[in-house]
Amino acid sequence: MLNPPNPLHRPSLWPFWAPVIVMIGAGLLGSTLGCNSEQIAHYRVPKEAPAAPSGPRPAMPPMPMGENTGAPDPSGAQTPNMPAPAAAQGALKWSLPKGWSEAPGGGAMRFATFKAPFAGKLEATVVVLPGPAGGELANVNRWRGQIALPPLDEAGLAKSRTTQKSKAGTVNVYDFTSDGQVKSRMIAGYIATPDGNTWFLKLTGDADPVAKAKPDFMTILGSLHLD
Amino acid sequence: MIKTYASQLWTFMKSLKLTIVLLSLLMILVVLCTLAQVEMGTVGAVNAYMRSFIVWNQPLLLRIPFPGAALVGLLLTINLAGRTLELKRTWAKAGMWLVHTGLVVLFAGEFVAGMMQVDTNMSIEVGQTVNYVQSYKNMELAVIDVTDPNWDEVYSVPDTLLARGGAITIPGTPITLNVKRYFPNAELSNLAPGAPPSLATAGVGTGASVIERPVVSADNEMNQTSAFVEVAAGGRSYGTWLTSVAIGAPQSFMHEGHTYVLTMRLRRQYLPYAFTLKQFRHDVYPGTDIPKNFSSLVQVVNPSQKESREVLIYMNQPLRYEGKTFYQASFGKNDTLSVLSVVENPGWLLPYVSCVLVALGLLVHFAIVLRRSLKRRQDKQGELT
Repeated sequence: MLNPPNPLHRPSLWPFWAPVIVMIGAGLLGSTLGCNSEQIAHYRVPKEAPAAPSGPRPAMPPMPMGENTGAPDPSGAQTPNMPAPAAAQGALKWSLPKGWSEAPGGGAMRFATFKAPFAGKLEATVVVLPGPAGGELANVNRWRGQIALPPLDEAGLAKSRTTQKSKAGTVNVYDFTSDGQVKSRMIAGYIATPDGNTWFLKLTGDADPVAKAKPDFMTILGSLHLD
Repeated sequence: MIKTYASQLWTFMKSLKLTIVLLSLLMILVVLCTLAQVEMGTVGAVNAYMRSFIVWNQPLLLRIPFPGAALVGLLLTINLAGRTLELKRTWAKAGMWLVHTGLVVLFAGEFVAGMMQVDTNMSIEVGQTVNYVQSYKNMELAVIDVTDPNWDEVYSVPDTLLARGGAITIPGTPITLNVKRYFPNAELSNLAPGAPPSLATAGVGTGASVIERPVVSADNEMNQTSAFVEVAAGGRSYGTWLTSVAIGAPQSFMHEGHTYVLTMRLRRQYLPYAFTLKQFRHDVYPGTDIPKNFSSLVQVVNPSQKESREVLIYMNQPLRYEGKTFYQASFGKNDTLSVLSVVENPGWLLPYVSCVLVALGLLVHFAIVLRRSLKRRQDKQGELT
């Protein structure tokens, strides 16, 4: 036979423990979740496809299904203040040395990416921006900032500049090497075309492979011509 | 003495009067939360009224503090648990026990959802493969080592950490970020001639001016989170950079042979699997623009499980996969972009368990009462005959 429950005795144990346990549990859970949202996360992920539409531009919150709220497309919005890539017509052309290959785009704002036949960390890119793109000094200082070199003034800029003749005009060339144990080097060609665009051809990477690729890169700069 | 007070408190906590007061408060909160969604958006209103213990500083309540649904729910759970424990432990009350337990489980499920549910989304274009979900509102400053030709090392600094300011050391890298200014929402424009110089000394932010704006939470608005961050590595400063979701192009610098990209974006959670959108369908009723069906045909590829299969996700038919539920939520770009709403709720089964318990409890209770009633009728007939 079952013993009858004793309601007077049994619940008397609960007043102290039930709310306390629930509150402590909720508090611990909340604090744990709170801590997780403030930690630096690390992921090792495969490279995104260059044309990924949701790359650096974040998606807007999605609109309710079937309802047109007038909000921009989740990932199709043009970035404010960022110039659009130049049209293919009237573009700058070049000839690649033996062993070099080319792929269109290759990243945000890029017109083309070159693959060089040299081992080591090395990348050659072509970027085109409309107008003066902030001016030569600002761009050169931005590149120098990327390898932790101090900014130049106009006199320093003129001193660092060399030139390379091409059919498209004179290309201003800059060659910078960083400090540090592993030295980074950047060679950049800067040329404005008659249609008002400014073109940057950059060779960046570790100092040694960049040095090996420099003669070829200068050949590319010398081969520039208008379409 | 303490025991007496505790006993009185417990008697109050399990009283039916408290149940009625709490249910009334819940009704008021539901109405207020619904009204607040017009200005605050769904997430903002739910967080302010439903997922908080105290509702602070809300215009609808004349900025007077009011108990939030989390507090009301907690008290209601305790109240219900107290009432349940009052029930006699006999077979005759088995149905009532099941019903009450089911309700407690339902409340517990809402607490689990409130504290642990993570709402994100996945935007995929037709032909694109995506291996991450991203937050609707929370941001991150992603520092990405793009040196390796095949892999990116992504270090995600959450906006909550940026908001604290000061130095942030990124584990596993020589990089330290010094947050000089943080704007939860801001408007960026080109620096006007004669304006004070930008805080930024490197990157595209040198030519930008930043004006702080009030934080927005409406569903169709997004904060333009921005920050001025000085980057240092190996004892050298790489200048102060302006990072903002309004800046689309990633900004990069090189240190000791590694190329790092800085980008402010919606917070991502990378997945050990990837979805490829093979087809998106937006069907309408013939001769009208009235939607009939939205569906996404995705290829799910999970190398760790050696799995690659097609799944059709459509309205009211989500995909439950690896603890996440993917719902068809939105679309764009002339029907070439599908947006899946992604919900991760460890307690998603609890409401179902609750429903089963309550239904079972009601059936058991009905059977017990029916049996008792039939027995009484039988006894009565026996007495008459």
